[in-house]
Amino acid sequence: MRPSFFHHLHPPTIPAAQARWRHTLGAGGTTVFLMLVLGVTGILEMFYYVPNPEEAALSVQVITYHVPYGGFIRNLHYWSAQLLLIVSAVHLLRVIFTAAYGHPRRFNYLLGLGLFVLAIMLDFTGYILRWDQGICWPLTTGTNLIKTIPFIGDFLFRLAVGGGDACKTALTRFYTWHLFGLTIPVVVLGIWHAFRVRRDGGIAVPPPHARTDNVRISRNELVRREVLTMFIASILLVLLSSFFPAPIAPAMIGKPSPDAETRAPWFFLWVQQMLKWGDPFIFGVLIPFGILVILAFIPYIFPKPADSDIGTWFPKSNRLAQVAATVIAVFIIILTLLNR
Amino acid sequence: MRRLLTLSSFLLLLSIILVWWNNSRQPKPIELIPTLTGQPEYCLTCHADLPKISASHPVETFGCVTCHGGERLALNADLAHSSMRGGANPSDLSVVEASCGGTNCHSGSEADDRHHIQRVTTSIQSTYAGAIASIRFTFGAQVDLTPRYGINAVTDDETQTGITSLLAFDPLSEANPSIQKFGEECLTCHINAMPREGEDYSRQTGCSACHSVGEHTLTTAIPYTQCNTCHNRGNYDLRTMTFTKRDDHPILRIDDYYQPIGVFTKCEYTLDCIDCHTRSESMGDGDIHKDQASIEYVQCKTCHGTLDELPLTKTLTDPNDIAFTLAFLNPVIDLKLGDTILVTEKGEPLWNIRILPNGTYEMYGKATRQYFTFRPVMGTACEQNPDEQESHYCHECHAVEH
Amino acid sequence: MTDLSRRDFLKLLRSGFLYISGALALGGLLRFLDYEPNPAPQTEFDLGPASNFPLGSRTLLSDPPAVLLHTQSGFSALSLVCTHLGCTLEDQENGFTCPCHGSRFDAKGNVTHRPAEKPLQSLRVEVTDEGNLRLFTA
Repeated sequence: MRPSFFHHLHPPTIPAAQARWRHTLGAGGTTVFLMLVLGVTGILEMFYYVPNPEEAALSVQVITYHVPYGGFIRNLHYWSAQLLLIVSAVHLLRVIFTAAYGHPRRFNYLLGLGLFVLAIMLDFTGYILRWDQGICWPLTTGTNLIKTIPFIGDFLFRLAVGGGDACKTALTRFYTWHLFGLTIPVVVLGIWHAFRVRRDGGIAVPPPHARTDNVRISRNELVRREVLTMFIASILLVLLSSFFPAPIAPAMIGKPSPDAETRAPWFFLWVQQMLKWGDPFIFGVLIPFGILVILAFIPYIFPKPADSDIGTWFPKSNRLAQVAATVIAVFIIILTLLNR
Repeated sequence: MRRLLTLSSFLLLLSIILVWWNNSRQPKPIELIPTLTGQPEYCLTCHADLPKISASHPVETFGCVTCHGGERLALNADLAHSSMRGGANPSDLSVVEASCGGTNCHSGSEADDRHHIQRVTTSIQSTYAGAIASIRFTFGAQVDLTPRYGINAVTDDETQTGITSLLAFDPLSEANPSIQKFGEECLTCHINAMPREGEDYSRQTGCSACHSVGEHTLTTAIPYTQCNTCHNRGNYDLRTMTFTKRDDHPILRIDDYYQPIGVFTKCEYTLDCIDCHTRSESMGDGDIHKDQASIEYVQCKTCHGTLDELPLTKTLTDPNDIAFTLAFLNPVIDLKLGDTILVTEKGEPLWNIRILPNGTYEMYGKATRQYFTFRPVMGTACEQNPDEQESHYCHECHAVEH
Repeated sequence: MTDLSRRDFLKLLRSGFLYISGALALGGLLRFLDYEPNPAPQTEFDLGPASNFPLGSRTLLSDPPAVLLHTQSGFSALSLVCTHLGCTLEDQENGFTCPCHGSRFDAKGNVTHRPAEKPLQSLRVEVTDEGNLRLFTA
């Protein structure tokens, strides 16, 4: 059999520890599945979506209410995207809490962090593509935040929005960013990330000399576990999509009224809460960016986890990184809950 | 593991069947493409049973969204209704221009008599200027009865009455508590006001206050009961400035509508308000007036004449005469070119009253389609003093016991 | 039941569930793709008062492409959509020519030159109660 990318990711046998639920939480694999679902449902939505400010919201209504199974497919796309953020965050925390980012996986950790940022941007651009009365104020404030960045803010704003009043002009840019500008990097980085997992020695577990358990599982068993994860994720997605429809609001006619939705999408509620405190550049750009920088530096400037600790839950040598990640997670969760 | 896989694949199948079942029980959308807009709307999916609004606004031509707004493609009630104009009442004067306006509709020029919205917004029914001035005068907030305020601010650039504008009345800026109470309690009932909460009041503003008789209808055949919704005597109290909803629906015209101590003629209570009162009296004439008395002008003599004069008449020679339009909208009489109808002293057609060859008059009730004939006063034994034409003088003789 | 046949049975069940799921999903997908979001093209055209087209007149219409005749026997119309691949025909002296592939038709709509094979479609014309002409393309 010719070696393929699939076989690269699925060697004939792997240490059982690398594929234990309680070790991986199935999070990394689930993100791959969710991205596949997002790709397929996204392409299906493109058959009917009209990226034109006058018709976009109406075409979303056509998809939601008139195309057979269109509402379901839109809900699938929506819920996959929301779950993707949650599962990615869980994956990131798992990697930090099990010290899996240690050498030689430092670079792959950065790739993963980049993928996470891209996923957030994809979720935000996708949310804007509804182009209804619910998106105008979050779009305006979100893109005005970019402008507060000194020196390059205006340039970045034009890059993202194309200039002008975001609620009138941003659709074309956001459509292109969502479908190509962000999706292609996600595909490239995603494949690279998966490739590096094997190249770096598979999912992080303690090195052979420190391993207590030398059981290995076969390629078939690995695939079965992945398929089971996929089935469970599918069932969850179908149930969510059947009972909890994705948000939708009346089409925008001119500027929406001031009582239209002003809350940020849920994954930015924590930033919106900070924006109530003061200077938008400090609270809306600098602090979120600072958090990202701290996360990115964990493998490089935090105390290095001991070799034998790599791939074990909450090792001592990794305490500082665990504390930092916990503080950041709790900070974000509390801010989100505070924003009502 | 294998059992788990089998079980989960079974659950996956079940969930897919759930999706299929969910989809199959959606109502089948009913599409309507109104000829005016050419854009499909799906309101009829749920609202197929609504009565036809009026002969002039067929749904096949106008659809629903032209007047009501709303999300024409949505099949979810909350979303579909979320952008409707004026909620249940698109004719509320805060949104009437978008719903009923437009030069081809009801905000055209005075010349082609399509300035309905301009007329209504300056009319005394919208401004309530006389009552506001009178209450403010009574409680000492102004020294005379000059109208200064309307329910909303309004201007008239081509005034015939000398009143060019009214300011918006703000009860909260009044010092006197009675005037404040008046603002809170008594100004919610006028057609330019914010309607009171509740389904009963939702169509009591804008055009529908008069023209929407019954569920989802628009008509110019307005029965007295419609006027009586607001002009119904006895559920407000001027001492306490309170308003209470009247639960009894009037059935007997004379007992339920007219004041118990008053004296009335039979014609007054068998006719409907609009049989005597004209368009400009009730809907305004485009000018701001100071109070109700300055726009109400029809009297008994308008139709009956006096001992010295016959009522004014007009022979219809122009096929575009407004009388034909009005008779077309409310076809109670077969007006023809050459017919002679009565007109008021301001020249408004009393198009439902026609002179008969023998010099008497015939009249069709605009709301009831009752048929009457009547004689002019001239040449009868009427003992009236020609200077005394207010109705109570007529009622001294022409009264009906009941 | 032996262990092996139990395993086979599970496998059979599993593939059964998955095939049915797949078939249902495929059916849903086909229905999803089959929806027509744009309204079907107009097939009825109001041409205005019939008196605009006096007896003996021959009028070329652009939407829909057709020629309208008013003869002793009444109104009739001939579609000017080429029966070959749908281009709009040009009016010529003795008939119509297609600019795309050179088909030719005589004044009655019969093919005089290939590649078209079918004659031009004659369209139904009606006079409404209000005296307007209505043209039907389907």
